[in-house]
Amino acid sequence: MEGRMTSLEATMKASSTMASSMVRNADPDQQTLRSNSVEQFYFPRPGQSLPGIPPFFGPPSSSLYLPNDNEAKFGNQFESNPSQNTDWDPQAIVSNLTFLEQKIKQVKDIVQSMNNRENQVAGGSSELAAKQQLITADLTSIIIQLISTAGSLLPSMKNPLLSSNPAVRQLGNTLGSPMGFGMNANQRPSVDSKTDIPDTGKTSDYDELMNNLNTAQDERDELIKCPNPCGGEGSEPTPMEDHDVKESDDGGEGENLPPGSYVVLQLEKEEILAPHTHFCLICGKGFKRDANLRMHMRGHGDEYKTPAALAKPTKDSGADHAPVTRYSCPFVGCKRNKEHKKFQPLKTILCVKNHYKRSHCDKSYTCSRCNTKKFSVIADLKTHEKHCGRDKWLCSCGTTFSRKDKLFGHVALFQGHTPALPMEDVKVSEASEQPHDSEPMNEMARSMVYSFPSSSSDGISNLDMKMADDVRGYFSPLSFDPCFGALDDFTRPGFDISENPFSFLPSGSCSYGQQNGDS
Amino acid sequence: MGHDSGSSAGAGVESLSLDLLAHALAGVRDPRDRKSCRLASRAFARAEAASRRAARVLRREALPRALRAFPALSSLDLSACAGLDDASLAAALPVRLARASGVGWRGLEALVAACPRLEAVDLSHCVAAGDREMAALAAAGLRELVMDKCLGITDVGLAKVAVGCPGLQRLSVKWCREISDIGVKLLAKKCPELRSVDISYLKVTNESLRSVSTLEKLEDIAMVSCLFIDDDGLQMLSMCNSLQSIDVSRCHHVSSLGLASLIDSQRFLRKINAAHSLHEIETCVLSKLSTIGETLTVLRLDGLEIFASNLQAIGSTCKNLVEIGLSKCNGVTDDGIVSLVAHCCDLRTIDVTCCHLLTNGALAAIAENCRKIECLRLESCPFISEKGLEPIATLCSHLKEVDLTDCRINDAALQHLASCSELLILKLGLCSSISDEGLVYISSNCGKLVELDLYRCSAITDDGLAAVASGCKKIRMLNLCYCTQITDAGLKHVSALEELTNLELRCLVRITGIGITSIALGCTSLIELDLKRCYSVDDAGLWALSRYSQNLRQLTITYCQVTGLGLCHLLGSLRCLQDVKMVHLSWVSIEGFEMALRAACGRLKKLKLLGGLRSVLSTELLQMLLACGCRVRWVDKPLVYEG
Repeated sequence: MEGRMTSLEATMKASSTMASSMVRNADPDQQTLRSNSVEQFYFPRPGQSLPGIPPFFGPPSSSLYLPNDNEAKFGNQFESNPSQNTDWDPQAIVSNLTFLEQKIKQVKDIVQSMNNRENQVAGGSSELAAKQQLITADLTSIIIQLISTAGSLLPSMKNPLLSSNPAVRQLGNTLGSPMGFGMNANQRPSVDSKTDIPDTGKTSDYDELMNNLNTAQDERDELIKCPNPCGGEGSEPTPMEDHDVKESDDGGEGENLPPGSYVVLQLEKEEILAPHTHFCLICGKGFKRDANLRMHMRGHGDEYKTPAALAKPTKDSGADHAPVTRYSCPFVGCKRNKEHKKFQPLKTILCVKNHYKRSHCDKSYTCSRCNTKKFSVIADLKTHEKHCGRDKWLCSCGTTFSRKDKLFGHVALFQGHTPALPMEDVKVSEASEQPHDSEPMNEMARSMVYSFPSSSSDGISNLDMKMADDVRGYFSPLSFDPCFGALDDFTRPGFDISENPFSFLPSGSCSYGQQNGDS
Repeated sequence: MGHDSGSSAGAGVESLSLDLLAHALAGVRDPRDRKSCRLASRAFARAEAASRRAARVLRREALPRALRAFPALSSLDLSACAGLDDASLAAALPVRLARASGVGWRGLEALVAACPRLEAVDLSHCVAAGDREMAALAAAGLRELVMDKCLGITDVGLAKVAVGCPGLQRLSVKWCREISDIGVKLLAKKCPELRSVDISYLKVTNESLRSVSTLEKLEDIAMVSCLFIDDDGLQMLSMCNSLQSIDVSRCHHVSSLGLASLIDSQRFLRKINAAHSLHEIETCVLSKLSTIGETLTVLRLDGLEIFASNLQAIGSTCKNLVEIGLSKCNGVTDDGIVSLVAHCCDLRTIDVTCCHLLTNGALAAIAENCRKIECLRLESCPFISEKGLEPIATLCSHLKEVDLTDCRINDAALQHLASCSELLILKLGLCSSISDEGLVYISSNCGKLVELDLYRCSAITDDGLAAVASGCKKIRMLNLCYCTQITDAGLKHVSALEELTNLELRCLVRITGIGITSIALGCTSLIELDLKRCYSVDDAGLWALSRYSQNLRQLTITYCQVTGLGLCHLLGSLRCLQDVKMVHLSWVSIEGFEMALRAACGRLKKLKLLGGLRSVLSTELLQMLLACGCRVRWVDKPLVYEG
């Protein structure tokens, strides 16, 4: 319970208050855990920017190292929080609820103050939007805290694990971060239009909230990394994007829409190559996330500002009023370019993307297994990699097949094509990599053959035998067994190979051989 | 004097033109006689050099010289060439490379490059040959290719051939177990000229027959033991109606129905081999036989259930039958044979091996009706006696081959048979009652005899061999296994058979090195010699063999009393030796084996050794044997002395 409380507090008060509260919960058992927790805060997980400080609890300073200050300032909130070891502590809950109450009040204050200022200045709409954004973010964080507080109070969360398991602690950290996010958004009004706002309508589920938070976190990271995601090469597209693309690959081939019955949209090369999957149907601007697109759509008119338009789109919504749109490839001369005589439009933006990459871009993805096949669309690479190296059937024309019957069908179809031997590439590597294995073996065999030239009754054939091979055989660098070294000694060096090599045999035994040599 | 007559004859010959001489030489069939002619006159030698079309090279070293000496060669048989390797092949011609396991794709590539007109290649039993070798050969645009038992060949290799040789007419891929329907399909598509296809022992299905049936010129198809082929496949094959020969033997899923449907569409069928496939021959087949009754000449129904009525139907429809195979057919009786031969007077070959019910009556009917009979296989027909053979011997003067193994005949039967002066092959194995007397009858009149099998005719002695050696000088194959009374004196007689190539002397415990020496001196053409369990044969025999039997290719010396020195000398000297079985040589040390094998390792193709040696022989040696294409069979039989 002690640990759980600590983590809970950490969650609620975020970084600045946490250390102090833990210091006060001076239970000897807690020491290690506490330091652990603090450490995690000081060294946030990779990819996560420094946890922000909630605007409610103090100045956005690096006050993480000054627990005392924070204690002085906020400690009273939790003064009554006892360090009891009971499972269910009404006092703690009361204090939590009070804390939430306070927070809501604070937000309310802010809104009010903003409202006042707005009345005074009557500032531009952009400033107003920024403010709205800020407040939304704050509300989000409050809701998160509400959920986390409530969640931590649920019986299922009353698990000793929560206090002892650092992973759960980290969960708390994650929860703490969106507050920083909110503030961050505030500091960067230029990008706020792309800031994702967790869908507060669906946060009743704790898990989903967590997911949304993480998404938001990632999104912000990306925004920081690449402030203008619309231009230039972004990070690699995630595999997920391209997999569904594959299905509708270069579509539009079969359909025969009469020209003029559809709107032709031509995206620019940069747009096509940007790592986006969500494109504005009006201007073609691309986004990585649909939520950002929806945010963007608001700029195209009021009809996109309704809650229905901003909500997650269902399949059929929007289909009614959107005109039939087809796409043109920006590459002039391509059949898919609208200038082409036999222009064949592309059905979807995803088709445009794949078509453009496959037809007009370098193949930058190389298969890591075969190191020869290259692809411009990562999904193609992944499809290839599934089959690469496994039952690969190759035709002499270079086409590969995953199945033998397909290859043979291909060979049957084309004159002069023949299945390529799988050894053909092996051959090269064999010759270069393992010359110590096969070649000397043959060499050894050959030299063995010639090391025992037998008697011959045919003089002319002996002349024929006197080839380079024989010389090599006699001066072969190979070492035989001791007994064969001796044998070599007995064999007269030179080229008189008609001499019987068994002259070392006892005189009686080799009489036949000697006679033979003479004959 | 001999010299004088030679020179005068030579002078006469010199005046004749080369083509006349060549024409004269063409009449000389026996290679030995040709050699005599060559040696007698330079003119003959020149004529031979200019006209010789075929050569069989036994030694690698002689290959280049042979090619230079006979520029007109159109066929070259290298299947017996010891130690053939890639380097030797670079200059060869239309080639028979059967069992040349050392040949690789490099050599074949060179061969193909050197012989742009290469048309036929036989690579059978080159077990190491694979797709790469096929790829090398495919560039030659062959018409004939035999690659039986080239185990490494897959569909890819077949595809290489199919694409590279669109004019292929004959192809045999027997035992190439990796080839499947896909490869056959491509072959049928790419080689429309195919006339003969052998897909025996492949794991192909009916689909292959469907593909093959598209070959319009197909005449000859063999699919022995294709277990996935059934009646549906034969039905598909019936699309192709130019067939002349069908072999569906040992296809266990083929029934009479399928065969009938196939026969029905054919008009030119000459040969049907349905041995061991159909369980019994049903009326549907017999009725369809009438459509091809005029053309059918060869019918093999071995292993089937055949009744007298069946044979009668066959006899009445297929009057032109030349060969019938009824080996191991249950139900074949005298009546059946009588009704069969009543109509088929052209029968030349009758195989009734193991038709246990046959008696002398059947033989009498055969003798009466089939005067042209040349080959009679009667193995294990126990009721046959000299009374049955008498009419055969008197009426059928063309008889060339008789198999009486295990027939319990006696010397009287041989007395009758002796009147068949054309006899070439006589098998008398396990006829323990025949004696020297019978052999005297045979040798008195059967001077053309080429093969004589006396396996376990234990009553035979040296005298019988003396008679055979004096009367049957042409004998090439002689089996004397377990004729235990034979001694060195008998072998001395045998050594008079100059043309002897195969000699089996298994378990002749009385023969020694002296007998072997006389054999080696006399039978210089000896190719195969079996001395297993000749316990008294020692090093002296081996030394004689290594000195004189330069053509010896196959040798069994298991259980012989030889030492390491003898073995070394033998294996080091015999340049044609390819297959040696030497198990249980108790007198040979490990070093002896090691040295002997090293001395021969470039030439050996097959070895049979005691399993225990595997671990004690140096790995280097074993690797070298492997690299030279030698296959070693390790046996683990216990040492048992018998006889």
